[in-house]
Amino acid sequence: MKPIIRHPEVSVDKFYKGGAELLGLKLLAGSNGLQRIIREPTVNRPGLVLTGFTKHFASKRIQVLGSAEDAYLRSLPAAERERRAVRLMRYRVPCFVFSRNLTPDLLFLKAAESAGIPVFSTPLITMRFINLATLTLEMMFAPRGTDLGSMVDVFGVGVIIRGESGIGKSECVLALIERGYSLVSDDVTRVTLVDGREVVGMSAETTRDHMEVRGIGIINVAAMFGVRSVRTEKRVDLVVTLKCWEEVKDVDRVGIEQQHVKILGIPIPHILIPVRPGRDLARLVEVAAFQTKLRATGHNAPKDLDDRLVSIMRNQVAD
Amino acid sequence: MNWIGSGGCPAYFLARMTGRKQPGAGQEASREMVVTNQKGIHARPAAMFVKAAQRFHCDIYVEKDGEMVNGKSIMGLMMLAAGPGSRLTVRAEGDDATKAVAELEHLLHSTKFNQELPDA
Repeated sequence: MKPIIRHPEVSVDKFYKGGAELLGLKLLAGSNGLQRIIREPTVNRPGLVLTGFTKHFASKRIQVLGSAEDAYLRSLPAAERERRAVRLMRYRVPCFVFSRNLTPDLLFLKAAESAGIPVFSTPLITMRFINLATLTLEMMFAPRGTDLGSMVDVFGVGVIIRGESGIGKSECVLALIERGYSLVSDDVTRVTLVDGREVVGMSAETTRDHMEVRGIGIINVAAMFGVRSVRTEKRVDLVVTLKCWEEVKDVDRVGIEQQHVKILGIPIPHILIPVRPGRDLARLVEVAAFQTKLRATGHNAPKDLDDRLVSIMRNQVAD
Repeated sequence: MNWIGSGGCPAYFLARMTGRKQPGAGQEASREMVVTNQKGIHARPAAMFVKAAQRFHCDIYVEKDGEMVNGKSIMGLMMLAAGPGSRLTVRAEGDDATKAVAELEHLLHSTKFNQELPDA
């Protein structure tokens, strides 16, 4: 089954509510336009458009007006001010934000109200608002999906454990928790692409801290094993797929080449572990995580060993 | 390993190891369903759904609002928080996909999780 990648649509309302605490936004006018969609995850300062130069106007972005724009508008006579505001409102901009708690003049608010474009104010200085708003938008726009695996943080290595239902995923996760590692999510992990390069896995709020163990039922991992046994999110560093021994045709016996699987389009190191009664899965996943960590720090055991072997054989020829 | 202690070789392996034939592999079925029971898919209905789904060989997926989970996973179904009236798409892939989807639809729409499952 092909995984679904969702590119969320971000409305002004979502931005307003999602960033309310961080950005301190206050709605001044244009509440009937809250459903407008923000089409680019960044901000723009519309100074040039205010002066009359409208070519290449980045109208899909949130428009931020700071003290410079405010001072410029105030330097104009009232009739001209209104004309400029109305011209600005002709574009389908998502919303306006005045920084430094600046109060836009009534003409501007009226024009926005009748065009149905929300106007906000924020106590932040312009630069700070731009930084925070960009980060907030980046997160809101991040592509996301669900991975049908459990996730555990093994000593700082975020491991997604995949495998068919009934193969022993939950038991493996439970054994890892008993060893002191932390559960991120059981059986289904929400994944988000952060910054276009990192995949972060997290639990859904509904089922957070809980897991299902066949025969026992649903357990609260945090209550049973303590707070250190859970965490809400972790970067995905490794995917381990558990597969029935009989179904695995060629398993990598050396492991020089790192295999990958893609999550949200990003290649993640992948290890396939054949499962057979008697194999200690938790131990294998643990070692796989350590191996990934070693690789990340530049150690590649199979390659090192192979290099040693090659050099020994070369010396034999020389003798 | 934990599951060894919990009653020997799981059914999953038995099925694989005995090499049971899977006629009609590659079947696919999909149907849109609406949650009609009063409280939505909470723990008990989720358990019933999973129990029904597990009797089939095929892979079963449940999708809600663009989010897809494993239909054989209780945690997955509970995560969807599918309240009354919400729309689900149930997909199945494998030898008994059609039958699985029909049975799950029966569970959701006809019995509304009020009856015990018939014996397999």
